[in-house]
Formats: sequence, structure tokens, C-alpha cells
Amino acid sequence: MSVSTAAYFARRAAQKERVQILYRRALRDTLNWAVHRHLFYQDASNLREKFDANNHVEDLDAIDRMIAEGEARYNKWRHPDPYIVPWAPGGSKFTRNPTPPAGIEILYDYGREDND
Amino acid sequence: MALRAVLLRQLRVPVQTLALAGCKSQPWSFSSCIRLMSSHDDHLSKEQVIGRVLDVVKSFPKVDPSRVTPDVHFQKDLGLDSLDNVEIIMAIEEEFKLEIPDKEAVKIDSCNLAIEYVYNHPMAA
Repeated sequence: MSVSTAAYFARRAAQKERVQILYRRALRDTLNWAVHRHLFYQDASNLREKFDANNHVEDLDAIDRMIAEGEARYNKWRHPDPYIVPWAPGGSKFTRNPTPPAGIEILYDYGREDND
Repeated sequence: MALRAVLLRQLRVPVQTLALAGCKSQPWSFSSCIRLMSSHDDHLSKEQVIGRVLDVVKSFPKVDPSRVTPDVHFQKDLGLDSLDNVEIIMAIEEEFKLEIPDKEAVKIDSCNLAIEYVYNHPMAA
């Protein structure tokens, strides 16, 4: 047990957040690799079991080491062409149709000269 | 030539008044004719958002559908894990075609927060 429990819980909370972010990225990566839904469900439950197997570790350093290992494995398996929602940065519709500046008028004069 | 000039002068209509004329002739679309030239003008109503978020949460296999209300907390009230939290948020992202940044997605802990986030997001579909 570490010296002050507030610091212990703070570290555990930070680790919990790291694990959550890692799980989120790994799940999204699984969806990128396994596009068909039935394959994705199978792979997602395998991933969940891997995370759940280490659920009960209490030692802070062991948890840190496992998170680092998990992140290294995630970096190794990243998809080269991930699906990004179209309007998000990196997606296909990003900055495609920006909102036009206000007060712009379109003048339909069909090439009419001014001295007609 | 003068006739052509007269006709073309009639056609010089700025876009703003055209939009307003379109507004007055179609009273049922009064909320959609305010911003006509942008691709970001589709907003969901609060009841739709609540209904869809609750449907997503209810169809989660580890959740008891009868206990789901709009202000239920995922970990405290429904007894879910933090990883289940992540899964629910991913399901909500897929439902509304959103992209939630990682830091904010971790903070969404209850139905309340999820509904507010989706409702206030400009690109929720």
C-alpha cells in the first residue's frame, strides 16, 4: 500500500482513464479490420476477454506495465486506412462545403454590360 | 435590346429576398429556411435524441431494459463496468454518426450527459 491513499486513488483513476481510452481505440481498430459485423462481434468479445482477464490486478506498477504493453500492441496493429466519420478531420467530407461568409449576394446579370 | 434590358433588370434579385419569399410561401418549413446555403442545418429534436439514446442503451445485452430512464448512471444505477461504458458510447457514436474525442468520451458517464452531448453536437444525424 502506498503512502497516501489520495495519491493512490488518483493514480488508479488516471490508469482507469488510460485503460478506457486504450479499449476505445482498440475496439475501433477492431471494427476497422473486421468490417463484417459478425466477425467484429467475435473479435470484440475476444478483446473484451483479454481486458477482463487482467481486471483484478491491484499493483500500480504492474498495471502501468500492462497498459504500456497494451498500447504497444495497439500501435503495432493500427489500421492504415481507418474509417473516420466524413465531417471529422481526416474524413472525406471535411472542409468540403464550408459555410459561405455572411452577406454574400449572387447577382444574376448573365454577363450584361453596364452600359446596355 | 431595350426589352432585353428591362427583362434582365427584373431578374436581378439578390439571394436574400428570394430566400425570404420562399419562406413566406411555405409556412411549414419555417425552421429550415433560416440557413439555406450551408450543409450544417440538420438538427434533431430533444425527444428524438432521448428516444434514440434510450433505444441504444436498452439494446445493450448487459442492461436490463426496464431500468433505463433518461437520467440513469451507467456505472452506478445499471451496474456496468467502465469498459461497458466505452462500448455504450461507441454504440451511441455509431447511431448518431458522431466522432467524439477520446478525452470527452471517457467523461460521458450517464444517460443525461450522453443526451446533452448529442443534442448540443452540431453534426448529430
